[in-house]
Amino acid sequence: MNNIEETASLEHEILSPLIQRSISFLKDDLEIDVISENIDIISPKKIKLKKNTAMLGTGGSIQVLITMGYDDRLLDKIVEAFLEGEEIEEEELEEIQESVSCEVVNTIVGNALKNPLDGTTLGITPPILISEAKSLFRQKSSQIASATIKTEFGEMLLTAIGPKELFSKKLNFKEL
Amino acid sequence: MLNILVVDDSLIIRKNIKKYITNLGHSIAGEAKNGSMAIEQCKDLKPDLITMDITMPDMDGITAVKKIREFNSKTNIIMITSHGQEEMVVNSLKAGAQGYLLKPINEEKLAQAIANIYQEYTQDLDDELLDDDELLDD
Repeated sequence: MNNIEETASLEHEILSPLIQRSISFLKDDLEIDVISENIDIISPKKIKLKKNTAMLGTGGSIQVLITMGYDDRLLDKIVEAFLEGEEIEEEELEEIQESVSCEVVNTIVGNALKNPLDGTTLGITPPILISEAKSLFRQKSSQIASATIKTEFGEMLLTAIGPKELFSKKLNFKEL
Repeated sequence: MLNILVVDDSLIIRKNIKKYITNLGHSIAGEAKNGSMAIEQCKDLKPDLITMDITMPDMDGITAVKKIREFNSKTNIIMITSHGQEEMVVNSLKAGAQGYLLKPINEEKLAQAIANIYQEYTQDLDDELLDDDELLDD
């Protein structure tokens, strides 16, 4: 397996289903318009994270880290949708925003991710917030795939980080 | 009216589920952020029903259900999770849950999940009463 195939696996088997579910979640569940549904996936050496970013990891036979970051206006709109019209106290807002950031990544990853390798269940860790980190750098033994979804209220940045050899040659889903 | 314990590590999900429960005419027994707290709350509060998240820090929902079943076989449990994978559903039911609800949740989905459990429960009670009536007739 060459590097191009390995990267394609992270892009197509991990990030693509997440992009599709993110779009349907934004449009159908939160009623937020997505400006373009043709999303380019890139494999950069470095990713600049958004200020509001949540992260979780998958467990099982495929272990990757997934981050989801939101522009301020988009996060405000998502929080508003989650609150379903309910008023909250000012001092509750930050905790609610953090909770919603984490809940969105949890829901999208849990809904979207199937194990393309051997069909076994992929566990997911409880999500956490990344509040101080600004960038992610690709190391020699890792790969990064990333995509930006543009909405009427700003961008959502999806990133998947995995080991360079995500799938074994024998079990590579692309060859099935 | 059911007395319901809400277990989820997410503040927004606990908030929304509590709102749905109240809107549906049930009461909140309590809330817990992880599996360990859920076990303690279940012992203390003896709820009729628990809504239980699967992915939580400290102790996950499936482990918590197994431990609750060691001392409580009566409280019904609905798992609430983002996992759509079949194996996760099977594991939840094997652990002792009666229902399974896929996130994102809303009031309608929760109402349906509760109705499904209590329809079966009511049917079981009806069957038992019918059996008793038949015995009395005999």
